[in-house]
Amino acid sequence: MSKLSSRTALFSPSRTLILAGSTFTQLMRMKVFYFLLIFVLIAIGVNFIELPHTVGPESTGSDKLFSLKDPMIGAMRYFAIIIAIVATALVIPKDQEDRTLYTILAKPVPRLDYLLGKLLGILALIFAGLLVMAILFNVVLHFHTETLLENRLGMAEQMGWSAEAIESERQDILRQGPSWSLQRGILTIFLMSAIIASVALLISTFSSSTLFTIICSTLVFFVGQFMADGRDYYVAKAAATGDGSNLTTYASKFLSLTFPDFRPFNIVDAAVAGKMYPPGVFFGLLGITAMYMGIYTVLSWFVFSDKEI
Amino acid sequence: MSDVNAVEVRDLVKEFKTSFRRGPLRAVDKVSFTIAPGEVYGLIGPNGSGKSTTMKALLGLVQPTSGTCSIFGHDSTKVDSRQDVGFLPENPYFYKHLSGEETIRFYGKLCGLRGAALKTRTNELLELVDLTNAKDRRLGGYSKGMLQRIGLAQALVQDPRLVILDEPTAGVDPIGSRQIRDLIFNLKSRGITVFLCSHLLEQVEEVCDHVGIIHKGRLIKSGRLEDLISIEEQTEIVLSNADPALLDDIKKLIDSRDGAELVRTGKPRTTLEHLFLRETRDADSSNDE
Repeated sequence: MSKLSSRTALFSPSRTLILAGSTFTQLMRMKVFYFLLIFVLIAIGVNFIELPHTVGPESTGSDKLFSLKDPMIGAMRYFAIIIAIVATALVIPKDQEDRTLYTILAKPVPRLDYLLGKLLGILALIFAGLLVMAILFNVVLHFHTETLLENRLGMAEQMGWSAEAIESERQDILRQGPSWSLQRGILTIFLMSAIIASVALLISTFSSSTLFTIICSTLVFFVGQFMADGRDYYVAKAAATGDGSNLTTYASKFLSLTFPDFRPFNIVDAAVAGKMYPPGVFFGLLGITAMYMGIYTVLSWFVFSDKEI
Repeated sequence: MSDVNAVEVRDLVKEFKTSFRRGPLRAVDKVSFTIAPGEVYGLIGPNGSGKSTTMKALLGLVQPTSGTCSIFGHDSTKVDSRQDVGFLPENPYFYKHLSGEETIRFYGKLCGLRGAALKTRTNELLELVDLTNAKDRRLGGYSKGMLQRIGLAQALVQDPRLVILDEPTAGVDPIGSRQIRDLIFNLKSRGITVFLCSHLLEQVEEVCDHVGIIHKGRLIKSGRLEDLISIEEQTEIVLSNADPALLDDIKKLIDSRDGAELVRTGKPRTTLEHLFLRETRDADSSNDE
């Protein structure tokens, strides 16, 4: 028979991974995940077919590739955000409703392990979904880039363009093709979804309704998109009128912690536009993500540790 | 046997917040009891009497408003106390996408079991709860009785010294119910302490050594089952193959004594459950032949 000889560690990585694995499998079985994944894969895959584009005949090859990439990255972004919000809003209430939560927490499982396990499971699911989509996206983009290079450069040679002009066109097209900046852009979508999943986790620890969690998390996501602009406006206005600038600064900083600021993450759009997205910027965003996730997860733990089940 | 009680509940009070106007709802009101190691203790009471809340407080799933709960001397609000506890909730629903074997392995891993030890323990428990043949089936296809038994197996996975069962036979047919009761007897024979909450009195009477009666959040009676249900001034004699003449002699003897009175004679009755089990078993045996 077991003896109470060892203390239960406050946090156990192996136990967290076991819970994450179980959450990943649990979510994989949900029809909504497959529905959304298949829908997005079709949305990306359909681009194999040459469809009429909105770009005019005077447009360059890079315009054509941009108009291809933009909706595909948009679909991936919405997939990641929707799964992050919906899956996180569902997991804890479902465990509670099914009483699986009772049997798990009646074992020597600290509540922090449970929360982290759930969050990691959701993130693994989003990562796996994005990975599948990213592979298909890159294959589609590579196919179109090669086709475009062949057509445009062939046409340029026929029209007697200079070697410099042909090389410039080639570089323009390649910049819009699969690149490391673009891959970092896709990883940035994952970072955004990780932040919003940790926000949804925090809300679900005190909310009794899944719908409430979904609505609030969606609002936080939208507020996060525009918060930086609003903050800049009020800080600038306070500075111009010279009134209460310290208070305004502190309030805006507090607001930045309460609502995640997603403006820096809009660098994804620049990567889609073929601009350079340096690794240093990506690591900076990784740090911001870790900070937000840390704050929201610790808050979730405080709320959940005293939650009556 | 250890000196430390398996369970010790002292002046437990649990209030739940309601609307501002009504004030808090007191679900458990100064409940105190102890369970010695190896005992089978039944907490009985009607629905809403505070049984499940008491149990949840003991498992650290709800925080006591006041009072204390401990398991083998460890404060039950701390995670450490759960190392020696197995818990089967009422009507458990485990992850339906897992098979019976995977379910036991999942809970075993949560308790720190790995490799060969986990495999051996899983097989032992599947054998114990008679689900070896159904180990690869998904829980979505299990009957209620099978779910209860796999629930009991997960409760026992880390070989705990205390098992807490909340209405273990709720919604289970008589045969499944009997299997669960046999498992409780098995635990008792192995020296495992069992804390059982139920409103099925016959079931509690059959398996428990000690009982507590809880009503409207208060523990109104607690003690050894034999002491609580015996009628002190009466004595029962059960005879086998007694002819009418012998019964007449006994009646005359009783009448001749001052103060003694024959209250009742008649045939002892079996229970409907025993009748049902015997008849279904007999029917199964004749079909097999």
